[in-house]
Amino acid sequence: MTSQPTHWFEEHTGEVQLHLVAPTLGQLFEEAAKALSELMVEQLAEDPAPSVELVKLSAPDREALLVEWLNELIFRSETQQKIYGEARILRLSDTELEAEIRGKTPERLGTAVKAATYHRLKIVSQENGYAAKVILDV
Amino acid sequence: MEMPELKQVSEVVYELGRDFRPDMHVPLRVFADAQLLGQLKRDHSLGQLVNVCTLPGITHYALGMPDMHEGYGFPVGGVAGTLLPDGAISPGGIGFDINCGVRLLASSLRFPDVESQLPTLVHELSRNIPTGYGRHGRLSLSRDELDRVLNEGCKYIVREKQLGLEEDLERIESQGSLPEADASRVSERAKQRGQDQLGTLGGGNHFMEVQRVDAIFDEPGAKALGLAPEQLTVLIHSGSRGLGHQVCTDYVRLMDQALSGYKISLPDRQLACAPLSSKLGRDYFVAMCAAANFAWANRQVLAQRVRETFSRVLGAGPNSKLSLVYDVAHNIAKVEQFGIQRLCVHRKGATRAFGPSSPDIPAVYRGVGQPVFIPGSMGTASFVLVGTDAARDLSLNSACHGAGRALSRTAAKKEVTGHLLRKELEGRGIIVRCASNTELAEEAPIAYKDVERVVDVVTRAGIAKKVARLVPRGVLKG
Repeated sequence: MTSQPTHWFEEHTGEVQLHLVAPTLGQLFEEAAKALSELMVEQLAEDPAPSVELVKLSAPDREALLVEWLNELIFRSETQQKIYGEARILRLSDTELEAEIRGKTPERLGTAVKAATYHRLKIVSQENGYAAKVILDV
Repeated sequence: MEMPELKQVSEVVYELGRDFRPDMHVPLRVFADAQLLGQLKRDHSLGQLVNVCTLPGITHYALGMPDMHEGYGFPVGGVAGTLLPDGAISPGGIGFDINCGVRLLASSLRFPDVESQLPTLVHELSRNIPTGYGRHGRLSLSRDELDRVLNEGCKYIVREKQLGLEEDLERIESQGSLPEADASRVSERAKQRGQDQLGTLGGGNHFMEVQRVDAIFDEPGAKALGLAPEQLTVLIHSGSRGLGHQVCTDYVRLMDQALSGYKISLPDRQLACAPLSSKLGRDYFVAMCAAANFAWANRQVLAQRVRETFSRVLGAGPNSKLSLVYDVAHNIAKVEQFGIQRLCVHRKGATRAFGPSSPDIPAVYRGVGQPVFIPGSMGTASFVLVGTDAARDLSLNSACHGAGRALSRTAAKKEVTGHLLRKELEGRGIIVRCASNTELAEEAPIAYKDVERVVDVVTRAGIAKKVARLVPRGVLKG
């Protein structure tokens, strides 16, 4: 069993390829939020009262749901001027997601992320949990 | 995927036949020399171009420009024309940054005459131009005004908002206003993202440069474009900001879900597409046109901020006049006529390059060719070219759009730190303004191919002609 969810960014000439590993699918989605925020912000501001927001999404399959999830976080980051590195998945199936996210104010921004893509997108179940690859347009 | 050797069909053109994979509808062609070909074989761009060959209705060839590199769905530097009325339109063949493009302004000033004021000029530009992602512009638009920007593009910005000159309009691709645009097909979420982003540069590889004309290769061409040695120019590279990103996101999702209804099967979900004759295909096309209008309006507002800054720093009057040379898109789909065929030409990281006889270029450039801008990486030269009539048959009237990435962002950061790069560029007399050292390192010159080599291939292939070289003296990075 994978003990802790983790992520890393793999080489890609033009964009950023995000690799995620987690013991459960819910943790995989939570880790995706953490990874995205790590990319988008260099430093967070002191934020005594982060916003708490509810997200509800649906998609035809779990890969598309991961893309929807990342794109929702990108949309909210840009329109709310917040970074959503902390997420708690409340409900998750292959086609639906409900989560609580906490938005913090960025002090210094990092890499601009335009969107998550379907290119070479994959979520695989493995003995110790789940692994996913998703390419982000930056 | 195992890639076979490509067949060399002329000095700088390589081909892969459609028998390579059963789902290819057309062969592919790549413009490259041996070194560039070697570079592009190191990433997945050729495999991605093979996938493009499977698009419904694709005709002629899927084309790879000499700056081609790996993207998602289409490679960056990929061109594909689909035969209308039923050929497909694929948002992935345009990209998230719809109408990312380049605008060149030429000053009436000579660089040596203003060199001492350059630090103040670049500093004031950095104060006047918002950079970085999600940054807000000074132009606050109501929702109705935003819809007019989407429907009318630069015509609204120049004529109603008084930002720019009437003469600017003629020197913008499609006059900066695609008539097919329909703001009602742009989602509420896209409008929310773009609401206050007009007049902002954005992040990533977007930038603005103050340059000096360093070399002229074609005297009559340069004269027609208003360029002369030692002249001061300003190059703006930006796009449709969050609004365009969301339009692409929305329609990739819709088309991904509709593929089975059209009985379309694709090797890559990011190539999701719909026939342009379908309601969904048409909805995307008119929304993409609206996002393209937004991008042209964005570069129009940015150009006006540059003009204001020049007047303030260098003094108002005819001597500080900045004339628009041209504004050209490099992420867009256009419906274009090729003989009796009407094609939807996708250019993803590729520039339209109409020749001197084209009726669709500004009257002042007839007999010369449409200006094509090839920005180099930060700190290296940029090139001005003009399209040729031969480009019509050789490359679906297309040329490359930049140097093209050679290294990933991670690899670039391993090679160079932003802090040292800033020092090195300043040591070469280039003033750099970029808030983030990380982003600076990601766009380091070492991460890009050799722009001179890329331009050389374009010229040798006969798809565009070299006119002038511009060298950077001040860089404002998004």
